Order: sequence, then structure tokens, then C-alpha cells
Amino acid sequence: MDIIRNFPAIAILLCLFAGIFSSGLKEKAAGLVNSCLIVIEIGLNLATLLYTISLGDSFVYVMGKFPAPWGNELRVGVLEALLALFFCVIMFLSMWGGKHKLKDEVDPEKTFLYYVLLDLLLSSLLALIYTNDLFTAYVFVEINTISACGLIMIRQNGRTIEAAVRYMIMSLLGSGLLLLGICMLYDMTGHLLMSNIHEAILTIVAEGQYTIPLLIMIALISVGLAIKSALFPFHAWLPDAYGYSTVSAAAILSSLVSKGYIFLLIKIMYRVVGIDIFRNSHITDILFLFGLMGMIFGSLSAIRENDVRRMIAFSSVAQIGYIYMGFGMGTEAGMVASIFHILSHAATKSLLFIAAIGLTEVSDGKRQFIYLTGSGYRNKMSGVTFTVGSLAMVGVPLFSGFISKLLFSQAAILNHGKMLPAMIVLAISTILNAIYFMKTVIRIYTPVPNSPYPPMDLREHWRYATALFLFIVLNVVLGVFSDPIVRLISNGLAMLG
Amino acid sequence: MGANLLANYGEAVAMILFAIGFGNLLIQKNLIKKIIGLNIMDSAVYLFLAEKGYVNGRIAPIVVDGVQSVEAYINPVPSGLVLTGIVVSVSVTALMLSLTIRLYMRYHTLNLDEISTQLRKEGL
Amino acid sequence: MITLLTMLGIPFFFGLFLCCNRNITNRKTLLSIVSLGFVATAVVTVFSWTSLLEQEITVFWLTQNLPLMFHLDRIGLLFSILALVVFLCAGFFSFSYMEHEKKERRYYGFYFLVLAILQGLCFAGNMVTYYLFFELLTLSSLPLVMQENTKEAIMAGLKYLFYSLCGAYFCLFGFYILFQNESTISFLWGGNLLADSIVAHPVLLQVAATCMIFGFSVKAGMFPMHGWLPTAHPVAPAPASAALSAVIVKAGVLGIIRVIYYQFGAFFLQGTKVQTLFLSLSLITVFMGSLLAYGEPVLKKRLAYSTVSQVSYILFGLFLLQGTAFTGSMLHVLGHGFMKASLFLCAGAIIHLTGKTRVEEFTGLGKEMPILLWCFTISSLGLIGIPPTGGFLSKWYLAIGALDSEIPFFSYVGPVVLLLSALLTAGYLLPITVKGFLPGAEFDTEKITKKEPNLWMLLPVLILTVLSVLMGILPNGLLGFLGSVFR
Repeated sequence: MDIIRNFPAIAILLCLFAGIFSSGLKEKAAGLVNSCLIVIEIGLNLATLLYTISLGDSFVYVMGKFPAPWGNELRVGVLEALLALFFCVIMFLSMWGGKHKLKDEVDPEKTFLYYVLLDLLLSSLLALIYTNDLFTAYVFVEINTISACGLIMIRQNGRTIEAAVRYMIMSLLGSGLLLLGICMLYDMTGHLLMSNIHEAILTIVAEGQYTIPLLIMIALISVGLAIKSALFPFHAWLPDAYGYSTVSAAAILSSLVSKGYIFLLIKIMYRVVGIDIFRNSHITDILFLFGLMGMIFGSLSAIRENDVRRMIAFSSVAQIGYIYMGFGMGTEAGMVASIFHILSHAATKSLLFIAAIGLTEVSDGKRQFIYLTGSGYRNKMSGVTFTVGSLAMVGVPLFSGFISKLLFSQAAILNHGKMLPAMIVLAISTILNAIYFMKTVIRIYTPVPNSPYPPMDLREHWRYATALFLFIVLNVVLGVFSDPIVRLISNGLAMLG
Repeated sequence: MGANLLANYGEAVAMILFAIGFGNLLIQKNLIKKIIGLNIMDSAVYLFLAEKGYVNGRIAPIVVDGVQSVEAYINPVPSGLVLTGIVVSVSVTALMLSLTIRLYMRYHTLNLDEISTQLRKEGL
Repeated sequence: MITLLTMLGIPFFFGLFLCCNRNITNRKTLLSIVSLGFVATAVVTVFSWTSLLEQEITVFWLTQNLPLMFHLDRIGLLFSILALVVFLCAGFFSFSYMEHEKKERRYYGFYFLVLAILQGLCFAGNMVTYYLFFELLTLSSLPLVMQENTKEAIMAGLKYLFYSLCGAYFCLFGFYILFQNESTISFLWGGNLLADSIVAHPVLLQVAATCMIFGFSVKAGMFPMHGWLPTAHPVAPAPASAALSAVIVKAGVLGIIRVIYYQFGAFFLQGTKVQTLFLSLSLITVFMGSLLAYGEPVLKKRLAYSTVSQVSYILFGLFLLQGTAFTGSMLHVLGHGFMKASLFLCAGAIIHLTGKTRVEEFTGLGKEMPILLWCFTISSLGLIGIPPTGGFLSKWYLAIGALDSEIPFFSYVGPVVLLLSALLTAGYLLPITVKGFLPGAEFDTEKITKKEPNLWMLLPVLILTVLSVLMGILPNGLLGFLGSVFR
């Protein structure tokens, strides 16, 4: 079974090759290549996951022939494989859910480029998850940014280009800081491989050298990645980017791209700096504070919003706040909660985006709430799915959101200093969440006597309906069988350290 | 402190440049100026890396008259990093420029705030 | 396990079937399906009462230490009986009430769903299960409130939703704190707090208890979170308001019982500020609800305000943390359930037959429909607390319990407030009877024609009224049953 050790590298390279290959293909063929690619990726990552579980430990894959301090490495543990598998599944469902809208959204001549970008995005995500080398991580961060930017602006209108420019500017600020942080790290330790850096940092800290540069480095990297993942004060680009791009792109961007950066931050916390040193730097407190602010202000903006997709986008700001709040607690429990929330948010948010498109579609493409009245009757599947998504976001038991809120609150209770603010903000944010999601659900189920818009025939859009159904299943699975997943996450975290 | 700064003047300059670039990218309204800021920022990082890699009095690790002792060469890795970084920054700059051209053709202005205002008027 | 799942599954299945099946356009088919559903539900539920009592059934584990567990204890049984009886009566009443209403299919669909969820709530064996069904109850009863689909109904529904969700999150917040400090989340009489935690964080636990009780009290319509009740209950169709007012508010009451007696334990809250706070809030609500009802001219709204007041009688009894008062509360749960349902159904019948909604229009009604108005009168007497109805008994026990509890201030102020409120209750209910039977000299009795409602409407009202009287006449079995609950 040792052949499975090659799978992560194959997965990354396969995506890159598929991207290059697709750029010479027509629209249909490129789509086919993309779908096949993601299915293969799911298989590869599943095999990797099973292998790591049976191995009980993480393994290192050496890229090329150079050994440890100089060469480039992948490092694969349970957590990485789990996330990679999950990201592939979400990507697949989001792709299929948005496929029927593609011909309206993107110029047919350029559709193949869309698939190329998706392939590249997937490769960069996988690389971010698996890599053990900081500079490789930086390069793939940039690839990720570029392909995400392309995905935002492939639907050509003024809004998306502006959103893409804003996204690029914020991302570049973030990656500038990240790059500087990595350079400082290299300067201090002389290594680029995460494990070697960690050893070097341990000696540095033990000898008491470089305290200030270390602090500055941690701050630079955290802030850089926080900017890129749209933590609260840096989220200005997000609603436009998610609100106006193609629906699959919005789903993928909100559920995966920001999560890739967040996972990189987790790896840097655990594997490069070491969680104890990171906690002692008190950067966690700042992340905690911003997380809390994001939870409240994101929800408040979402309540004010009159456009369903922008509302969902703003809700992402709040959810990313949750994740950073979990980091900020600086405990193992908080981290597990955050990682579970990464999964649950990815599953729920993409579901909401895909369901929302079905609702707007039966409302003449209009996205303001007033037009959406009664759309739950015109498109039954979307209505039900949106309701499930809302319930999951609000935190009703049996759905994924409940478990992540439970984990967050348990983590908060274990951390005495931060318990009260965390619990209070959690409660406020949940109520705010409930307000805007329930408002929407009621709106889509308020009947209108003679609707001018025709209902959607689900038999014609079976792919869409299946994708929605699978999303619901995914959410319920996360909500009901959370125990093994939480156990995997904590095992994976132990392997990371 | 001061002596350290003087000895490492290259790094100090890099930091100042980084701040200038970062500020420009953040504050400037004009898209082209933003892109220039981006380039300054990136170049500052490369300067920093190059300064780190270079050791006074040593030579590049290119074998000409047979392999000498390790002490004779500078660290080649930062140079490699700089090269990779340049490639990344070039592609990003190209992307930004193309986006800027798109926006300019649509709205005939390079000012991002004005573009936003126009967009709001369009009511998209 | 199978019995339980069938018991929950049958009404749930009927609900879903009716909600989803568009092909039922014929009213007869619809009604026969609904009757079949009612009969099946009744049979299965009665069977599961006998076979499942005091059995713990874990359906599955939500996470390692959060099982979804059902356990029918005696309190749950009491609420389950109430829910089934009221729902059946109001359901059969709807057959003729909903005749001219639109969207009957949807109405019955959600009616079944609510019934299924209520039974799940009564059978719930731990806090998570209870919370799950509590949330579902809010969501599934929402369409009943919004049935009329007018702007007013939708706004009322929204108000209901927001109040309920806020309440539910208060519960959840408290539960998160509680969860870390108790040995198990199952309902055990006397509570299951860890002894260390009681010593280590008493204040924190009291905050948690306050949050949870406060959260459930939203559903029970306690001041200051009573605002949704007088808005939401009257806009629903009369049988639905009967179910809402008589049973669904009791979900909050059951929640509070579970929190106080089965999670924290009465001894933990005895004499704390939490007890004082909630005793005063419930007394304020008792008095204020009656006062508001007294000033309200629309009958259904008046009854809704009366619910606010009467449910707080129950809560007052619970917060006293005393055996006799607890018995009184439980008696009032049943008594108020039957009487309020009967009153709402009477109001519905009057609206259905005459179209009159305001109290002053009811003059001479006793000549038109004497039997109905007699039922109304008997239920009113019960609500006021005049022997031999069930209402007298429950209020008697409440007053005795308050006096026995020896809590300073409340032990004597409580009975006084209860008495005052009873007088007000008489003030707002009896004039309807008096005006109805004795319209006065200037009233033209010649024009009156008999308009007695048909049997579908009359029978449920009669059954409910008789039940409420029977409770007062033959209370011994019930008292023995309740005595075995409070240990």
C-alpha cells in the first residue's frame, strides 16, 4: 500500500496538468476533464485519508531527490487528508450545482478558461494543505489568489472587475506581509521546511534570542493571512466578490479559498511556530478580539442587506469571525472547534449560495428580497435546501451548525479568561443569525397569489437537484455523525504538532 | 541599536521601502499608483532577501576553479527565492494591469472610488 | 424503540403526506385521511403510554456525550395526555370550522406535524432532545399562526418567531454552561449537578438557571417576554389558537419544570435570588395579564391575555419549589388546558356562525345558542376558580402551597394577588355570559333564531368542558398520581 504515499503529490500535479491540458480544449471537453479530475481527486484523497488513519501517524513525501534541510517536502497527516477530501467534495458539488447557470453567466467562448482556473485553484488548495515548505506555500498562495481573482471576474460586468481589483489589492497586501514574515523567519532560522524551522525556533526561544523579531514575524504572518481570509476589518472586498461572481465561483470562494489560508495559518501555528510560543505572543488575543467583532458586525451588515447573495456573503464574514475566535482561545478545544467549523461552514455556505441561485432563478434573476417572495414554492428543492442551510447556520440540532456552536461553547467554558466575552458574543451573533436567516426563509415561503414568474422544472435540472440533495446529506452527516469527525480532527491536530 | 542599523543598512532600506510600497498600495486612489506601490513593496522584500543572502567578501557559488571551502561562497537559496518571487510578482502585476485596462475602458477613470460611485449609479 | 418511532412517525408521516400531496382537492378525501390520521395517532399514542412508561430509549448519539434519548416519565405523560386530548378535540372541531377557509390541506399537515413534535417533546428524556423538539415546535407551529396569510398574520408570525428563537437561544446559552457542570444531561428528579461545581461556581450556575428559565418562560408568555402571545394567538384560526393557547404554551412550562426540578434540582434554587426574581415576575404577569384582558374588547384577544395570566399561575406554583404548590400547578396545567381550549373553541364557533368578534356584540347570544354559551360559562367559572370545577382545586392548592412555603413576602402576597386576579377574571369573563343570557329589556327577542352549531363543533366543546368539571369532582386519582411525582 506504500504507493499511496505518492498520492498527494500526484493529486497536486494532476490538477496542474489538467489545467494546462484544458486550456487547449473546447468548453464541453474542458468541463468533462474538470469533473473527472475532481472525482479522481476525491478518490486519491480518500485513499490518502484511509492510509493515514491506518498508519496512525503522518508521513513525509520528499519531492525530488534532495533530503530534508534543502529539498521540498509534502507532509501528510489525517487532518490534511480529511480537509483535502472535504474540499474536493465541496468543490464537486458546487461545480455541479452551478453548472446550468454557467451559460448565462460566462461567455461560451471563455468557458474553458473557467475550468482551467478551477483546476488551478484546486491544485493550489491541495498544495497549501499538503506542503511542508513555507516558500512553496507562498507561491501557491499567489496562484490561489490569481485563480480566485480570475474566477471572480470571469463573469464580465463592471461590478465583478471592480470586486476583482479590490480583492487583488487586499490579497496583495496580505501576501506582501506574509512574504516578509517568511523572509524574516528564514533570516532567523535559515530554513524553509516547516519541521526544520520549528526545531530552530525552539532553540532560539530556549536561548532567549530574537524575541522582538519573532513577535513581529508572528504578527506579520497572522495579519497577512487574516487579511487574505477576510477577517473582520479587512472584509470590504468580500460582499462584492461573492455577490456578483458566478454562483459556483461564489460557493467555492466562500467555502474553500478563505479556508485554504486559514488552514495555512493553522499549520504555521502548530508546525512552524509551535502553539505554545504562538499563544505566549498574545497575537491570539488580537485574533480573538477581531473574531468577536467580525461575528457581530458581519451579522449586522447581513441584516441590513437587501440582496440575498450579498447577505450570505456578509454572513461569511461573521462565520470567519467564529473560526478566528476559536483560534484566539489558544486551546486545543478551541482549535478543534475552529476546524470543525471550517468543515461545517464550507458545507453550509456553499449550500446556501447554490440554493439561493435556484431561488433567484425563479424570480426573474432578481436578487432583492421583494422579488424572492414565495420563491420557495416555485422552486421546491431550493426552498427546502435553503431552509436546511438556514437552520444549520442558526444552530438547530441535527445540523452541522449546532455541533460547531456546541464545540465553541465548550471550548469557551474551558478557557476561563475568555469565557464570558465568547459566550455573550456567541449568543448575540446566534440571535442575529437567526434574525436574518429566518427573515429570508419566511420571505421565500410567503405565498404570492399570482406570481408572474414560472416555477422551475426540477426534472430538467436534475444535476442541480442532486447537488442540493447531496449538500443536505453532507450537512446532516456533519450534524449527526460528528463524533468520528471530531476525533479525526483532534488526532490530526496531535499529528500536526 | 544604531550601530546595528548602520551595519545592516540594506535591511533598513528594505524595510523603509516596504513601508512606502505598502502605504501606496493601501492608500493611493489611482490604480496605476497602487500597482507601482505593489512593485515597490515586492522589490523591497527581494532587496531584503538578497541582503540576507550576501556575505561581504564571498563569491557566488558557481564552480570555476574547482570547489573551494564552504566559507568561500554566499548562500544561494535567497537568490533562488528572489527569482521565484520576481516571477510571482510579474504575473500578479500583469494581472493587475490587465484589470486596470478593463476598468479604464469601461469607466474612463483610474480612480477606484469614482468607479465605485459610477457602479452605484448603474445600480448593478 | 419501534413503538416510540411509530408513535412519533405516524402523525409525522400524515403531516408530511398532507403537506406534500397536491392531488387532494376533494374535501371529503382530505377529511377522511385526516380522521384516519387522528384515530391512528390516538391509538398508537395511548398504546405507547402504557408500554413505554418509565423506559429509557436512546435513539442515537449526537456526539459522544449527547445522546438523543426518550424517557416517558409521569410528568411527560401528563403533558402528553393533555396534548393528545386537546389536539383531537380541536382537530375534529376544525372539520366544520375550516369549511370555508382556504389551504385546509396545509393546515392539517402542519397540525399533524405539531402534534408529532409535541409528543416528542413530552417523551424527551434529556435536555438536548428537549431543546431539539422545542426548536422544531416553534418552526412547525409558525405556519398555523400565519394560516390566514394576511399581512397582520405574517407580522404576528414573525413576532412569534423572533421571541421564541431569542428564548430558545437563552436556553441554549444556559445549557452550554450547565453541560460542563452536571454529571449527565438526562432528566433526573432532584437534578444532577456535580457537587464540586455547586461549591466552585454557584453564581455562574445561577446565571445559567436564570437564562434557561427565562428562555422557556418566553414560550409560556411570562412578563417581560409576553408581547408575542396576544398578537400571535388570536390571528390563527380558532382551533389552532385553542391548540396554541392550551398546549403549546405548556411546552414552556414543561421546559421550566425540566430545568428546575430535573436539571438543577429544587434544593439548588431554594431561597436564591433566582427564585425571588421569577416569583415576582410571575406574580406581575398574573396580575397584569388579567388587567389587560379586562380592558380588551375583542374576545379572542381577551382570551389570549387571559392565557398570559393563567399560565403564570402555573409558573408561580413551580417557582415556589414546594410540593402542594407543584400539585396545584400540575392541576392547573390540565385544567387550564381543557378550559382554555374549550373557551377558544366557543369563540371560534361564535365567529364561525355569527361573524361577531367583539364582546359587546354578544348581547342575547344565549338565546341563539344556549348549549354553547353554557359550555362557555362553565369553562369561565373554572378559570375563575369556583367550585366544583377543576380550576377551584388547582387554585386552592396553589394558595395553600404559597402559605406553606414560608418564603417571606411571597407566601402571603402570592395568594392575595391570585385572589385579585381571580376577581378580575370574573370581571372579564362573566359579563359575556350575563349579557348573553340576560340581554336586557330593550333587546328584541323576537328576531332571534336558534343557531346552535352542528355536532362536529359542539361535541369537542362539550367533551373539554366535561373533562374540566370532572377534574374538580373526582380529583383523587389525579392527586394520587401527582403526589407520586413530587418526592
